[in-house]
Amino acid sequence: MQPTQDVLIPEVIQQIPLTYYLILSTVLFIIGIIGVLTRRNAIIIFMSIELMLNAVNLLLIAFSSYKSDSAGQVFVFFIMAVAAAEVSVGLAIIVMIYRNTRSIDVGLLNKLKW
Amino acid sequence: MTEFLAFFKTLTPTGYLFLLLTALTVISAMGVVTARNPIYSVLALIATFFCLSGHYILLNAQFLAAVNIIVYAGAIMVLFLFTIMFLNLRREDEEAKTNLTKIASVIVGGTLMVMLIMIFRAKSSQLPVGSTVGFEPNTGMVENLGHLLYGSYILPFELASVLFLIAMVGAVMLGKREAGDRHF
Amino acid sequence: MFPIVLLSVFAVVLLFLGFLKSRSVLLPATLLFLVAALVANFLDWNKTYLYFNSMLRTDNLSMVFTAIVLLSSFLVVALSGSFEDDEAAQPAEYYAIILFSLVGAIMMIGYENLVMLFVGVEILSVAMYILTGSDKRNLRSNEAALKYFLMGAFATGIMLFGMALLYGASGSFTLAGIASYASHAQQGLSLIFYVGLLMLLVGLLFKVSAAPFHFWTPDVYDGAPTIFTAYMSTVVKTAGFAALLHLLAASFTYVYSFWGIILAVVTAITLIAGNVTAVYQNSFKRMMAYSSISHAGYLLIGLAALSAQSRQAIVFYSLAYSIATISAFGVLMLVTRQRGMQTLSSNPLSNESFDAFNGLAKQNPLLGLAMATSMLSLAGIPLTAGFWGKFYMFSTAVERGQIWLLVVAVLMSAVGIYYYFRVIIAMYFRDGATEPIRISPVFRYVLVAAIILTIGLGVAPGLLQGLF
Repeated sequence: MQPTQDVLIPEVIQQIPLTYYLILSTVLFIIGIIGVLTRRNAIIIFMSIELMLNAVNLLLIAFSSYKSDSAGQVFVFFIMAVAAAEVSVGLAIIVMIYRNTRSIDVGLLNKLKW
Repeated sequence: MTEFLAFFKTLTPTGYLFLLLTALTVISAMGVVTARNPIYSVLALIATFFCLSGHYILLNAQFLAAVNIIVYAGAIMVLFLFTIMFLNLRREDEEAKTNLTKIASVIVGGTLMVMLIMIFRAKSSQLPVGSTVGFEPNTGMVENLGHLLYGSYILPFELASVLFLIAMVGAVMLGKREAGDRHF
Repeated sequence: MFPIVLLSVFAVVLLFLGFLKSRSVLLPATLLFLVAALVANFLDWNKTYLYFNSMLRTDNLSMVFTAIVLLSSFLVVALSGSFEDDEAAQPAEYYAIILFSLVGAIMMIGYENLVMLFVGVEILSVAMYILTGSDKRNLRSNEAALKYFLMGAFATGIMLFGMALLYGASGSFTLAGIASYASHAQQGLSLIFYVGLLMLLVGLLFKVSAAPFHFWTPDVYDGAPTIFTAYMSTVVKTAGFAALLHLLAASFTYVYSFWGIILAVVTAITLIAGNVTAVYQNSFKRMMAYSSISHAGYLLIGLAALSAQSRQAIVFYSLAYSIATISAFGVLMLVTRQRGMQTLSSNPLSNESFDAFNGLAKQNPLLGLAMATSMLSLAGIPLTAGFWGKFYMFSTAVERGQIWLLVVAVLMSAVGIYYYFRVIIAMYFRDGATEPIRISPVFRYVLVAAIILTIGLGVAPGLLQGLF
């Protein structure tokens, strides 16, 4: 028996409208933004930025699956690769600052006025 | 509200799984932002990554789901944990940012979120979803992605190595201990 | 394409040259590599190629932008001779990172796919975070690096969200694919498309430090080592504007009615914020940071008008701006170093203030002349390159009929004259205890070349016309 075309489509795509994924990733993205704005610990700000990038990943994968176009998922690879490179540099900067000031509180960095 | 209830009734187990994962994702994401202790933040972020990988599997992107766990939860978050433990940041310092700025930024973020969601739910932003006839279920499979990555996307793929070289040189240059520096 | 390959290889070679005992070979080698890349850049002259499945495009416009970027970095590297004496400096790494970052700049200039734009922006940004923090013991440099890094990564997140939305709406990452979707603007596009465009623009405007996304610029430019501030404020800006110009011209001309007015408002805010705040600065370096914001505003005029002349105007303006900025920072470096030795005060704030320039021109006519030329050019006084840059920019606005923007821009250039002339007055009409400053030959050549280029382009602006 030939499976019908419908069977091959993932269930979630048949049942959940794409808009729900859009909303979910928007919510994650905004949570990340709020984290960047409210926290003072540099590492937690950095993690909030990672959260924003993951919201983008989810969005790209959702678009790519609903359209059945692989390009979006390849873009996610690039985001992951770039995020890894950024993390290594960012943590090196944070370690360097901690060596000099014994703190990574963004609010205490006031040699230059904001 | 009734629209939502009607939607709720039509769901199959997969649909419930989607809702459950969504709830977990949002809760753990909030945990990242609100946790006092940076280590709890890291753990919440790892939980978020696992939930997102669940979403990716639901969306038929199995390979990226695995890569997400390996790269993000496995490599990047371990780097975060290392740094936090090396620097001994377990004790959260006083959050001196006033409540006023916090409330203001939450309001700004919330307004932005409501606006975006309103826009995305509007009739005029609906996207034509591809017809089921031409649907290609193998989109997220390794074979497909590999062909694309090493075919059309070969140039950015190769040039990403330049980024890694920069990051490597830079991380060593900045993170290296100079003579007379403290270890940490 | 050739410069990308050459620069990547040369940068790796430089890293290995760093093993040598003698540091004196690094500077000439880097300059040689940059010249080689500059020559290779023009091999494709008058031909248009699309490389690797339409990932990268080379045409005359992209080659001219690449040449400006390479020339700016040549001048900056030539001014960086002081690394040889500095025990803590690691010149091999710095030069390698500069060459690598140029690969990112060239990707931003010639991209045809949003993936290339994203990777290019990241290569350039990550390199800049590192160079900003390269003065490891200096708290100001550390702080600038952290701020730049956090803000830059935040902007990258917003830019990526925009790209994802554009992909969702148009189903493609290529500029051509997005343009073909946008060409249906008459039938109504999805709102997602507009939100995506807006967020992508915010991310890119952040990188070129346009107001209201400019708040990181003064701190970062102020805290970074001066030589890298010169690099940042020229190369990053040129590449960023090339990327914006290509993005808007290739993909979004159909929806000009949507972004044209937004960009015009951003331009006005940038001009006002940059120029007015620059007036209140006491530190020359910080003034240059605000001045770079205001020049981002002038460059945005050409984008907001996006007419046939915009390409030429942006090319000319970024060339004039880059040369003047580099020579100004070069003089600042010499003055700061000399003041530091003289007063033995390590407080950089007093060494970089306007007072540091008092009486400079009497003992050091060359430095005075170089600084005066670049200040006049930045202020847009006739017979300098900056005048024609502003002239071309303003004529694009006239062509588009944006008279209100033109009025704001002219008023703000008048404000600009005030703070640029403060330096000239300090140099020529104030008394200060300065002795002649020893200038190394390379430094002298760069300053003379900058003076000649600025005045040459000011007298004969047609030299660049008709090239592309």
